[in-house]
Amino acid sequence: MTRISTGVPGLDQMLKGGFFPQTANLIEGAPGTGKTTLGMQFIHHGITACDEPGIILTFEEFPRQYYHDAAGFGWDLPGLEAQNKLRVVMSSPEISLNELQRVGGMLEQHAAAIGAQRILVDSISHFERIVADRAALREAVFGFVNGLKRLGLTILLTRESGSLFGGDPNAAHELAFLVDSYILLRYVEIDSEMRKALLVLKQRGSDHARDIRQYEITAQGAVVQARFKGQHGLMSGSPTPSPADAFGEAFGRTRASRAE
Amino acid sequence: MDQHNTGASRLMDDIDPDLLAFIRNRVNSFIKWDLVSFFHDNPYTVDTADKIATYVGREAQVIRRELDALAKSGVLTVSGTPDQPIFGLASDPAVQDLVRRFHRACEDRQFRVRAMYHVIRGMQT
Repeated sequence: MTRISTGVPGLDQMLKGGFFPQTANLIEGAPGTGKTTLGMQFIHHGITACDEPGIILTFEEFPRQYYHDAAGFGWDLPGLEAQNKLRVVMSSPEISLNELQRVGGMLEQHAAAIGAQRILVDSISHFERIVADRAALREAVFGFVNGLKRLGLTILLTRESGSLFGGDPNAAHELAFLVDSYILLRYVEIDSEMRKALLVLKQRGSDHARDIRQYEITAQGAVVQARFKGQHGLMSGSPTPSPADAFGEAFGRTRASRAE
Repeated sequence: MDQHNTGASRLMDDIDPDLLAFIRNRVNSFIKWDLVSFFHDNPYTVDTADKIATYVGREAQVIRRELDALAKSGVLTVSGTPDQPIFGLASDPAVQDLVRRFHRACEDRQFRVRAMYHVIRGMQT
């Protein structure tokens, strides 16, 4: 079955080839973990490597901020817009939702104008402030995602975690049921150093890697590396050495890099 | 008076006629200037007056008036409902080209000074 490559080295392998076409995929993480970078990479890779035009829909960051940040990775977003392969659209969640429900609405027009096949929605967290409760959030996001799927788009949604480390007390678990894949990004402290961890929590209709892997934001974008080794409780943000590793340390084994 | 006219004439002569007309008839206030710059930098923004006011850091009521005027002059488009109009940059290539040329010209200090002169003059009449 066809897969949609994310363009993030290592992530496609974890997803057994990438996302499925016309699915909704969620990346959740604390501020600064690289959600937007991963999202821009997904869109840029789609356009430049797969000939799949894309839309970046932003609810808060100005498009010029995306142009600037993308340029840091060598991605020329204004150039892609000039070629009619990209639209960086800024609007509010309520307007986007209304327009999506309308025949010939703004997103439909943009998608048709460039033949868009991918969309980054950055971020779905903003829906949480326009609805009264969790049930309404689920309904709003469900309608929104279905509208985007109707346009034939493969969707990458970002969501901001409420806490910098460990689990999110305000996690919108209901969103996990709406999406086809769910990727978690976390800060992890190991040996007084902050690292970043990535976990594919769910992928509907497919196997996926279940280990927690280290990733870095490099000059070329995000790169997923090897799994963490010898650590327990990574997703808590403050892991401890596994018993075997602790034993080794206690008896003088070298503390060589735990992340291969 | 003659001296004033001579000065004004010189300032007008120095500006591309298309841009001069654009300034005098469409970007004839500093808030409109801000809005045109905003839509140049963020060309696919589509939102309500309240939101756009937040984006440019100005008062919503004033912004609404200026957005309406820019829409009336064809720089912006309006969609949505009468209760909640939403504004975006016009898709007309000629308008987009003017906005681009205006923005590029504004990078030159001399042009900005001349453009400001015309905006202030327009606001006084």
